[in-house]
Amino acid sequence: MAKENINRREFLKLTAVGVAVAAGTRAVSSTHASGNTPKGKHQWAMVIDQSKCTGCNYCTLACQAHNDISPDIQWNKVLEDGRVGDMQVYVPRPCMHCEKAPCVEVCPVKASYYRDDGIVMMDYDRCIGCRYCQIACPYEARSFNWEKFTGENPAVPEWGTPEVERRPRGVPEKCSFCYQTIDRGLAMGKTPGVDQEATPACVNVCPTGARMFGDLNDAESNVSKALHNNPSYRLRESLGTGPRVYYIPAQAPKEA
Amino acid sequence: MLQKLRSKLVITPWLIWLGVMGLILLSGAIAGILVFWKGLGITNLTDRVPWGLWITLDLSSIALGAGAFSLCAGVYLFGLKRFEPIARTATFVGLIGYTMATLALILDIGKPERFWHSMVYWNTHSLLWEVTMCVILYLTVLLFEAMPIVANLEWLRKRFPRIAEIMSRVHHYAPILAIVGLGLSSLHQSSLGATYGVIKARPFWFKPEMSVLFMFSAIVGGISLTLFATMLSSRLTPKAKINDGLVERVAQFVGYLLIGYFYFRAWDALATSYTYDPGRTEGLRFITKGPFSFNFWIVEMLFGMIVPMILLLYKPTRVNRFWRMVALFLVAAGVVMFRWDTNITGQLVLMPYVAGQAITYTRYVPSLVEILSGAAIIAYGFTAFSLGVKYLRVVDHTLVEEEHEKVHVKSTEPVTI
Repeated sequence: MAKENINRREFLKLTAVGVAVAAGTRAVSSTHASGNTPKGKHQWAMVIDQSKCTGCNYCTLACQAHNDISPDIQWNKVLEDGRVGDMQVYVPRPCMHCEKAPCVEVCPVKASYYRDDGIVMMDYDRCIGCRYCQIACPYEARSFNWEKFTGENPAVPEWGTPEVERRPRGVPEKCSFCYQTIDRGLAMGKTPGVDQEATPACVNVCPTGARMFGDLNDAESNVSKALHNNPSYRLRESLGTGPRVYYIPAQAPKEA
Repeated sequence: MLQKLRSKLVITPWLIWLGVMGLILLSGAIAGILVFWKGLGITNLTDRVPWGLWITLDLSSIALGAGAFSLCAGVYLFGLKRFEPIARTATFVGLIGYTMATLALILDIGKPERFWHSMVYWNTHSLLWEVTMCVILYLTVLLFEAMPIVANLEWLRKRFPRIAEIMSRVHHYAPILAIVGLGLSSLHQSSLGATYGVIKARPFWFKPEMSVLFMFSAIVGGISLTLFATMLSSRLTPKAKINDGLVERVAQFVGYLLIGYFYFRAWDALATSYTYDPGRTEGLRFITKGPFSFNFWIVEMLFGMIVPMILLLYKPTRVNRFWRMVALFLVAAGVVMFRWDTNITGQLVLMPYVAGQAITYTRYVPSLVEILSGAAIIAYGFTAFSLGVKYLRVVDHTLVEEEHEKVHVKSTEPVTI
């Protein structure tokens, strides 16, 4: 009998350990949301008015300074679109922060994940560097750190000062809607998109006011109003990724 | 002293073989160390082509390792017991293939020291997560399946007879291991295709057939490589003792499988050729009329399927050992080419994300470091197999395995919990 008791005790012990491990794994994995985008109180979005963009690249430079990005990498890339009359039209391309982001769905370790406010985040400490997200992203929004970024950032201090840590070699990086600014601004009681302290660097720096940022859940926000009052489109909309970056075309909207 | 050594050391073909393999392994090890030290910046991989030669090597080793699960399933589940000696070889080839894939992946990922993250942080939505888990679990199954083979090591038998005994006894569980292996392999072989098949951003890949094609080609290529390696070793060393009738029967089976594989591949290419579909049409043009047309028409279709199909189904050529070996080699090479063409083409065709812009192309040629380290991984495979033939009786059709226990399933007993 005694032997059986020990066995039973051991069995119970093992079970307890097993349950604890399982619970621990769940706790670890549930820190990152997965599946459908959770709908939080705010839903950040960006609206870019192509009729106002002059292709000056200030947004790219401000982004590189504030996020401490290597000169080889651009989180925000300004591309040439067609022409409307005599005017050259541009497409500034940050991360689209898709509602159904392919990068989040394919990441094997949940290093890419959704925040409650819709921002698609990267956990640079978790990423294993497999680059499946780069394969899956329809917008080439991700850049891999093929080399370690050392030395001075040429965009600093002219275009701003770094607010986040540099990413290590071996992981891809991308635009984060300047989440650090949004979070700090909200904590100070500021409104992103209205107060500079809470607004992404590219929006603040734009000399023509081509970029707007704000909360889609707030019908009175500038992005909600701009989308309500203007025709708009999103990039490669037919893929169903649901980008949170909208474009007001300099001409009639085109389907990607 | 030196003279004594020299008189003892006779240069045999075996030593030359080991020497050549050693040199490739050494140069590859240097390349590999450079990659870990300097980072992936020294490769020719780019943000537009982040998956290159190593991924192809990884996909190919897994595909060509598929002989293990298919033949083990045939032998231990479908009762084709007489093919057991070939299943043993296939198991060993599979073990080598999967360790090769693991090596290639470790080189390829940007943060190799975090490889264990995939086991801790689960994203069950990710095909790559599923593949990683299955590969790890299946590698474990293969290790168990290979234990009775390793137990054949003369030294182990003499020095640790007890351990060798236990390892041999794992063979009793062969049917169970075969079931688990079949499940895991079916999952990840097809999921490797789906890894590409779910990428909507790249229309050349985005299709459900991807899983079917990867699964089918893996079975065909995996069995072919095992048979080819079996026949080659029997030509090169008396240590390999084969029953050619067995090999011929399985080779004929490969011939029939090739019909199915050819049907799927041709049907897939034809079906995607109808109407213009941006990206997909460009990809198809790239492999049928563009830079990869030789790969597609000659290596994959003609010499990878049609020629071996004829050689293996036409009795005089199948019975002829030379032509049979040629056919089996061509099949395996065609499967590797399918992986390369598929992986690279999908990345070289660049889909514009700005509305109305034209589709463009990018380039990728592997760098020397990629080639050297890749070659070393292949050399590791060759070396391991030849050592297995020499010391573990991996190719020995005269070896009779112990009878594995029959699994009795009683369906009449009520289940009590």
